Amino acid sequence: MMIFAKRNLLLYFRDKSALFFSLLAVIILVVLYGTFLGNLIADGLPDFPAKKWLLLSWIFAGILAVTSVTTTLGAFGVMVEDRATDAYLDFYASPIKRSSLFGGYVMSSIVIGFFMSLLVLFIANIVFFLNGEEMLTIFQFVQVIGVISLSVITSSSMILLLVSFFRTVTAFAAASTVIGTLLGFLAGIYIPIGHLPAYLQTIITLFPTSHSAALFRQILMEQPIAEAFAGASVSAKQEFLLDMGVFYEINGFLTSSLFSILYLTATAIIFSILAAVAMKQKKS
Amino acid sequence: MSKIIEVHRLYKSYGAVDAVKDVSFFVEEGSLFSFLGTNGAGKSTTISILLTLLKHDAGEVKINGLLVGKEDEAIRNEIGIVFQQSLLDPLLTVQENLDCRARLYKMNKMERHEAIVRAAETVDISSLMKRRYGKLSGGQKRRVDIARALLHQPKILLLDEPTTGLDPQNRKQIWNTILNLQRETNMTVFLTTHYIEEAANSNFVVVMKEGEIIAKGTPNQLKAQYSVDRLMITAKDHAQFRRQLQADRQVFSDDHGAFLIQLERTTEAIALLAKYEQLIASFEVQQSSLDDVFIQIHNGKDGTENDDFCEA
Repeated sequence: MMIFAKRNLLLYFRDKSALFFSLLAVIILVVLYGTFLGNLIADGLPDFPAKKWLLLSWIFAGILAVTSVTTTLGAFGVMVEDRATDAYLDFYASPIKRSSLFGGYVMSSIVIGFFMSLLVLFIANIVFFLNGEEMLTIFQFVQVIGVISLSVITSSSMILLLVSFFRTVTAFAAASTVIGTLLGFLAGIYIPIGHLPAYLQTIITLFPTSHSAALFRQILMEQPIAEAFAGASVSAKQEFLLDMGVFYEINGFLTSSLFSILYLTATAIIFSILAAVAMKQKKS
Repeated sequence: MSKIIEVHRLYKSYGAVDAVKDVSFFVEEGSLFSFLGTNGAGKSTTISILLTLLKHDAGEVKINGLLVGKEDEAIRNEIGIVFQQSLLDPLLTVQENLDCRARLYKMNKMERHEAIVRAAETVDISSLMKRRYGKLSGGQKRRVDIARALLHQPKILLLDEPTTGLDPQNRKQIWNTILNLQRETNMTVFLTTHYIEEAANSNFVVVMKEGEIIAKGTPNQLKAQYSVDRLMITAKDHAQFRRQLQADRQVFSDDHGAFLIQLERTTEAIALLAKYEQLIASFEVQQSSLDDVFIQIHNGKDGTENDDFCEA
């Protein structure tokens, strides 16, 4: 399995255009925030202490959530290409288990998603530092890394199922673009969930990536929230947290960190099983 | 010599289409074996079964005494494959590619290093090791593909149309490499081709058509069995010669002003030439080439035209 993971990593980083495209959604997101989305969201909120810090944390939480999906997705391009070009035949005819070949694809996508997200986390810290804000504590850092791992594993299982339906590189590229674009909406990252119509809110609360985003927000925004709402009422704080997607309300039930963690874990398990079934059917 | 590949009454169908129908043959250890046929003849299906990539419906296939379908992993250690398409990673260098594929076999670091150096020297690609596979020419790629197939020192080297798409010079070079390999290492070489000239170098040829074996033998046997020699004559007086032949009840055909007479043996020409000496302007005795033999085999021995011989 490690042989394949190593090969796939090498291929991913050497294919400059694939690397760029897997980061495209992130780049678009940064450009949108930088040009107008950032101001739009800021204008929609009343002034309060630590507002800039709070929004910056919110934005990076969203970027982390998107990165953990799109880079994982991009890494699966190697698998689609191997199938489209028949490159897998050489592996099938070698004395290795097929499961270790598939394990290699999954492993490399997790490793790639993890390290790219880690890179974004470092950039976030640098941006905080340059803006004169506080950087993350070691404990928060460890927490974020934990959420990155969970988020990447969940994304990988969802994408594995998706990829089992694509036979050509073009179809995969098209799907990647669509997913990269939609992701920002479906996870309440372009526009805060509170500003969207009710039906979209429902979709967002059910979409797994929204829960990665929520977990990232809970950690990154912890200190700025404490500072911003030091003198505010509990209900004002509660309303803000729901509006910004730090926590969600599903049918009157308020989600917790634990709920989001379990939701992501369950998604990972269910999609892994579905992907395994889909792959098995394809083979026979 | 022992049989290293044994195929007994092999069947494989895709839905309603029978791709391989009751195919049996064997390959002797250390021989060069050619599998000949046009596209869609069932060659690829048979090969995929030998490579353990495809499950057969019925029959028995043994590779070096190992049963296909039961001992697949062991079989994969015995065979080195050069696929029709180039399947290595274009973005990786030759060295990286070979290193990655060498890891698929149970070798430690030292053995792997030795295996790569040995395979590279065998096909003379040592100078290409640092180059990206995707940037190599067709002939260079093919040599790297062969090196990859040799990494684990397989008993059998299987090449699926190894020279398709190469220019004549590269084709010759690849052929020399293959022939040297077989001679020097006594490796069994199994190849498929639709070029009959390539099969001429082999010890044994099997010809497939529409999922069945329609001929087998050494190239010389096939030639002896299927070749037809002809005597071509141009007459001084065309009409007169025609009347004469008809009067003698001689079977002939008229091909653009020349008369063609089929011969059992080339020596039969002597008697005919003596008999018609006065009427002949010029003549030629034609022996059929392997190409003619191939077409002859495909069309059936009587030489009746059969259009669906053409590639589908």
